[in-house]
Amino acid sequence: MPARRALISRGTRETFANYAYLLPAAVCLGGTVLFPILKAIHMSLYRNVLSRPQDYRFIGLGNYLRMIQDPTFWLTLKNSFVWVVCSVSMQFVLGFLGALLLNAKFKGRAFCRTLNLLPWIIPGVVVGLMWEYLYQPNYGPINDILRQVGLLRVPIAWLSEPNLAMASVIFTNIWRGIPFFTIMILAGLQAIPDKVYEAAKVDGASVTQRFWHVTLPLLRPIIIVATATRIIWTFNYADLIFVMTNGGPANATQITSSYTLLSAYTDLDFGYAATLSVVLLGIMLTFTAFYLKITKGVESVSE
Amino acid sequence: MSKHRSGDFFERILGGPVLWTGLAIMTLFAMGPFLWAFSASLKTRAELYATPITYIPALPTFQNYVEAWTSRLTPFSRFFANSLWVSSVTMVATIVISTSAGYALARFRFVGKNTLMLVFLATQMFPAVLLIAPLLSQWYALGLIDTYQALIYSNFSFTVPFTVWMLVGYFESIPRELEESAMIDGSSRFGAMLRIVVPLAAPGIAATAIFAFVSSWSELLFATTFTSSTEMRTLSAGLLYMAGQYEVQWGQLSAGVMISTVPVAILFTFLQKHLIKGLTAGAMKG
Repeated sequence: MPARRALISRGTRETFANYAYLLPAAVCLGGTVLFPILKAIHMSLYRNVLSRPQDYRFIGLGNYLRMIQDPTFWLTLKNSFVWVVCSVSMQFVLGFLGALLLNAKFKGRAFCRTLNLLPWIIPGVVVGLMWEYLYQPNYGPINDILRQVGLLRVPIAWLSEPNLAMASVIFTNIWRGIPFFTIMILAGLQAIPDKVYEAAKVDGASVTQRFWHVTLPLLRPIIIVATATRIIWTFNYADLIFVMTNGGPANATQITSSYTLLSAYTDLDFGYAATLSVVLLGIMLTFTAFYLKITKGVESVSE
Repeated sequence: MSKHRSGDFFERILGGPVLWTGLAIMTLFAMGPFLWAFSASLKTRAELYATPITYIPALPTFQNYVEAWTSRLTPFSRFFANSLWVSSVTMVATIVISTSAGYALARFRFVGKNTLMLVFLATQMFPAVLLIAPLLSQWYALGLIDTYQALIYSNFSFTVPFTVWMLVGYFESIPRELEESAMIDGSSRFGAMLRIVVPLAAPGIAATAIFAFVSSWSELLFATTFTSSTEMRTLSAGLLYMAGQYEVQWGQLSAGVMISTVPVAILFTFLQKHLIKGLTAGAMKG
């Protein structure tokens, strides 16, 4: 009888001990992610403009109704779409090309790879400021080079021209994100055994045939995962726009996540900023659920 | 037969001139902005604003670095120290927290373990802007505005989920038998983890540590929002502050850009192999 009791209590003790390993991580995420999210949902139900504390009150879904009627919100959604689709598709194509080039065997490959990965690891604010200088109309090299090759007569203000600003920040974002796809696809390429290519070669498949019928299908899982991760990340990413244009000129480069920052920092409207961020979260969770469903499909196919 | 030969010819072209031209263009595109910033950081003020612009500094000088480093308005020496401290503490704390949680998730059975893993994954997808307003009011209420703690705690929101997710994979790849035999020899579970599993997972832990360091080093939004005095700014926040100051000092700013880039570039060069392995392993698992 005492022996059995000891056994039970030992089991309970172990369970508690096991949970103790998780405790620090749980406290961290509870305090810095879960609680703040609940708080954001709570904040989104209040009129909460920091410069007008006398107006603070519960307004239910008032902020959400305002959002639906806010033309700027719909504009930012459209801009986010352009921003994500253009950035990610070009990053993918160029990153894929880069991976194919870096997969070749040549002397100094490791060094070359490091150089090509640099844009991806440096801070976003560094990327933004570096490119702001490159785009600078009078002292920046981009206009100077275009002028020297005869493509340009009058200097262009890339970041303050409403028609060009979005393309310019997207170009910068492409530069920054290419290495991500290069890394992912390179890893995928190197996981394909040489034997597979040799077998295809013996069967008389040309380079292009081998690419379409061997390489691409084998890379499918990693392509899907990398693209989905990148879409989510790009959709949420506000640093570059925040640094380079702050959404301007006239909201031409305002995406939903940078609009959230603007509402908080410039308008000091924390209720509305919280509302926008909750909606962002909703969009992302929907996408993530969809993505998990797809990747599960991929796993079962690849296994 | 002829088809096979034309394939070989095509291959030779692809392997030779096309490959080299492609590599040259790609590397120049990736490095160009850095070369420009480096060149600008060595120029004198007169040369920075001269027309036509120059690509190689006529009289290279480290004046911009000295000015940025010692400036009273934007003291980069202070920003650098702040970044180093915040990123290092975030890194060490993240590793301790995530090693323990990653080990538990890899080894123990829990009710709702899969849900928990899903939460860790989903947390990585959350927009950072979502946390700005609630964290600001939270740190304000706790009196942590303008402190290192506010930045370090906030950084956990993105370092911990990712590193836990990565470490679970590493720990699962280490055979259980090793620590079980140590436990039979009288070692405690925790002791077995520290002496057997952690050393074996060292490359993975190092990679996650670098990830935590580099992402904290790059963090901008928390650093600008939760600090208000110049002495508390990190490099990212300091650079933004400098850019928004007055007429932009491109020389000093370029020097600041180089100061912020070099440490992460060096770290990355040393650990890129492990980091890439870890990142893709995490991604390949989905």
